[in-house]
Amino acid sequence: MDAKDRLNAVIDNIEKVIIGKRNIAELSIVAMLSHGHVLLEDVPGVGKTMLVRALAKSVGADFKRIQFTPDLLPSDVIGVSIYNPKDMEFHFRPGPIMGNIVLADEINRTSPKTQSSLLEAMEEASVTIDGVTMTIPKPFFVMATQNPIEYEGTYPLPEAQLDRFLLKVKMGYPSSKEEVEVLSRSQLSVPIDELEAVISLDELLHLQEEAKKIKVEDSIKSYIVDLARQTRIDPYVYLGVSPRGSIALMKASQAYAMLKGRNYVTPDDVQYLAKFVFGHRIMLRSEARYDGITAEEITERILAKTRVPVQRLVGQ
Amino acid sequence: MSAIRKNTWFMACLYILVFFLLAEWLTPVMTLTSTGHKTLFLVFIVLGLLMALFKVPWTISGPVKLLYIVWFIVHVYTDAFFFSKDAIAFVWSDMQINSQALFSQNWAQTTDIFRTVLFFALLWMAVYLIHYWVSFRLSIFLFYFFTVLFIAVLDTFSPYTGNTAIIRIMVIGLLLAGLLHLARWTERHHIELSGDKIAASVIPLFLAIAGTTAVALYLPKAGPVWPDPVPFITSFSSQAGSGTGGNSVGRIGYGVDDSQLGGSFIGDSSPVFTAEVDDGQYWKVESKDIYTSKGWELTQNVGDVAVYENGDFIKTDFVPGEAGEEDTAVITMDQNFPFVLYPYGTESIQMADSPNYQYDAADQRIETFQQGNVFEPQSYEISYSEPSFSLTALRATAPENLAELPASLDRFLQLPDELPQRVRDLAIEITSSATTVYDKTRAVERYFSNGSFEYSQLDIPVPEEGQDYVDQFLFETQRGYCDNFSTSMVVLLRSLDIPARWVKGFNEGELLETEGTRDIYQITNNNAHSWVEAYMPGVGWMLFEPTIGFTGSSEVEFDVEVDATDPVEREQPERPNPIEEEDDSAAATTEEDNGPNLWDRAADMWNENKAKILWSAAGLLVLAGVLYKIRQKWLPKVLIPYYRSRGENASTFEKAYLRLLKQLELYGIKRREGQTLKSYASYIDSFFGTSDMTRLTRAYEQAVYGGNPESVDWSELQESWENLINRTSG
Repeated sequence: MDAKDRLNAVIDNIEKVIIGKRNIAELSIVAMLSHGHVLLEDVPGVGKTMLVRALAKSVGADFKRIQFTPDLLPSDVIGVSIYNPKDMEFHFRPGPIMGNIVLADEINRTSPKTQSSLLEAMEEASVTIDGVTMTIPKPFFVMATQNPIEYEGTYPLPEAQLDRFLLKVKMGYPSSKEEVEVLSRSQLSVPIDELEAVISLDELLHLQEEAKKIKVEDSIKSYIVDLARQTRIDPYVYLGVSPRGSIALMKASQAYAMLKGRNYVTPDDVQYLAKFVFGHRIMLRSEARYDGITAEEITERILAKTRVPVQRLVGQ
Repeated sequence: MSAIRKNTWFMACLYILVFFLLAEWLTPVMTLTSTGHKTLFLVFIVLGLLMALFKVPWTISGPVKLLYIVWFIVHVYTDAFFFSKDAIAFVWSDMQINSQALFSQNWAQTTDIFRTVLFFALLWMAVYLIHYWVSFRLSIFLFYFFTVLFIAVLDTFSPYTGNTAIIRIMVIGLLLAGLLHLARWTERHHIELSGDKIAASVIPLFLAIAGTTAVALYLPKAGPVWPDPVPFITSFSSQAGSGTGGNSVGRIGYGVDDSQLGGSFIGDSSPVFTAEVDDGQYWKVESKDIYTSKGWELTQNVGDVAVYENGDFIKTDFVPGEAGEEDTAVITMDQNFPFVLYPYGTESIQMADSPNYQYDAADQRIETFQQGNVFEPQSYEISYSEPSFSLTALRATAPENLAELPASLDRFLQLPDELPQRVRDLAIEITSSATTVYDKTRAVERYFSNGSFEYSQLDIPVPEEGQDYVDQFLFETQRGYCDNFSTSMVVLLRSLDIPARWVKGFNEGELLETEGTRDIYQITNNNAHSWVEAYMPGVGWMLFEPTIGFTGSSEVEFDVEVDATDPVEREQPERPNPIEEEDDSAAATTEEDNGPNLWDRAADMWNENKAKILWSAAGLLVLAGVLYKIRQKWLPKVLIPYYRSRGENASTFEKAYLRLLKQLELYGIKRREGQTLKSYASYIDSFFGTSDMTRLTRAYEQAVYGGNPESVDWSELQESWENLINRTSG
């Protein structure tokens, strides 16, 4: 079984539970393969948790869930050292972050302090408590959800921290036909319980390494850079995509190409992923908000006007 | 292919229209080249079109056409029965003659039959091409455009009149354009029309065109704004935008009204008469004396009128040459005139029906009457002896003698008051070194051969309001035909007080055949001519020929040592074609001018041919522009063999693919700036209903983005590529 078949087996497995959201499953896999994390932005009850659980089960990974609330403390996330009177020592009790696949639910409900503890862990893949650094087991994949920021009682994530998410995805409601199917499936049993792992964690780690080897032609790299630079000069944009964003787009494209069974990245991959990679990295000016223009629309516009490379880059 | 191309009635309509269009090509070609058997050629076209319509395979249609051509040859060139032994032998021997001639490159030895076969080949090709345009491309515009151009050019530059042809072509073209547009439209939108529906669309088209044509024919027509484009444009450019009035192209020939000279002429080779003589002669009709600065008129009732009969000695202004040198000219008229065309030195005239000859001293015309009525002779004999002039007498023609000439010659000194002074100045300048009247006259005559004048019947303007005909010729255009030269010489001579008159008639014509000492000349309208007679004091009237190409300045030698009685004969060169002549003299001038340097010659050439060069350059530019504009149509035909020949090569495929992208863009399906190849490919494929583009694009992506050009098998993809390239030319 080559990479494409194995990854598609995972997606098929997820689809048994999550109906009509194949693209979201794909994107999650893409993020996982490129050591990234996903920010899911949507209202409660559309299957975010189910998606992550299905993903975890499919790859046989350890699944943890953190429900963020306004009174959640950083130690609730990363763990705490507790004094054991019996042996008179502090023992580290790992927090829910120490898992393979972590669902950080409603991340914008909690205080910035707690948010940043999570995001640091995401970036470093390790936590430091009482001067001791502990590595989080690999693979480590966080899927954070947030309610749309217009909702009351939320702490919007700071720009720098948003950048740590590889992709921002909107789940959306299922179509009525899909929803009927959802109802039918949950009538008798809970589908998630019947899910079996289709690949092992080791295989997943191997695939992560393989994804890095996917060929990115120089012209494609320069296409990615062109796209990122375009966001920086757009009149509606206050803060454009950082070089970290360019790297993210490249890595995501590599993983996506692998998912599609190719060993090279095409402009189509880049275009498809650009709106998920750039969406949360573009800070708009107030004018854009007055004109009702979203970051996604700006990305679309840039994609439409940036020249797609059709030849090999010569002389560089 | 949708149903409309399979509808035989519809296609038959197209082919019938095409046939008429082809016939419009054939008609002028046949008339102008005097080719016969038009019907048989038309039958050949019908045959070709019919077989194309019913999609007869070429294995049958080819032999049928060949058979027809052979039958035509046998039928037209021999009396033999087709398939008879004689016929086959004839065709066989003719083939041998022609192939020998071709192999030895003796083009002139090929027979008429060979030319006929070539003509058939041309028709064959034309029928095939049109069949291709109509059935496959559903477009006839290019051919139609060339038809209009062809007829327009022929109408302008040849005796062929395309007045009705152009209307017919217009109607045929509109019908064809409408039908083909319908066909293309239904195909583009994949509409299958039934026979009724086709008729419902076609009949209104026919009615609309019939209606508009009828209205257009009925409506009054405005005169042409540009009577003839070529002279108009040339005069426009050479006169720095001063514009010209009523230019018109006339047909050459003898005319009575000379009050408005100028304008272009086109040749007319219809015969006027044949003359049997010992040597070619100039045939005088009359002279005119009043120069109006636009043309010539005649003073009425000035001279005596004398009436003669058959055999009477007719007293003209020219004394016949020595007795014993008489000749007889036998004239047979093809066109009828009520006067006699007579050579210099005419003594008497003899013709049937014994008419009266009325010689008018005013214009020296000999009119024929019979019992008071105008008589047009069919044939007559003239006995004449060429006049000779004493060189001694000519050398004694001092300019002072001019003042003592009789008053009756005053009318030959008339000049219009408005004649520009520069004409008079020029006359003095030309003749400043000559001492005798004769030398002055010769100097004026020779002036036109100095290289700056050009003989041409085309592009000759008519003088404008307030412009002098002679002045325009001498100082502005410097190109013209006999009227320009002879009128100018008369005016120059008169400004020097030398009596001169303008003479009309015909030149010697074309030598048809020689019978012993007798030459038979054919004189056609092309030989209508004008020249000069000047009065030498003490000698009398003499003929002078200023028109270049009709004489050479070196032809008359006046050797001082020669006996003074040596006759100065009017030498008439046997040069029937003035235009060829002009080329010779032009060539001679350039040879003489070899001396200076290359730049001067280049500059001269530029000045002489400025208009031609500019127009050719403009034409080439337009052609290049058109070719560039329609490159989408012809480029694939070049590209396919080119990429085939490049062979198996990693970079060939990439180049070919990029070329295909360009070609698709030309076709009108442009890839948007931000559109990826894959999405473009799927659009192309859905547009053409193919899967070739996706296939090619996948391979291309593999090669370029995957950095793996060796993985591509060009030979396998070539078919897809050619398929798409071919579609882009549609």
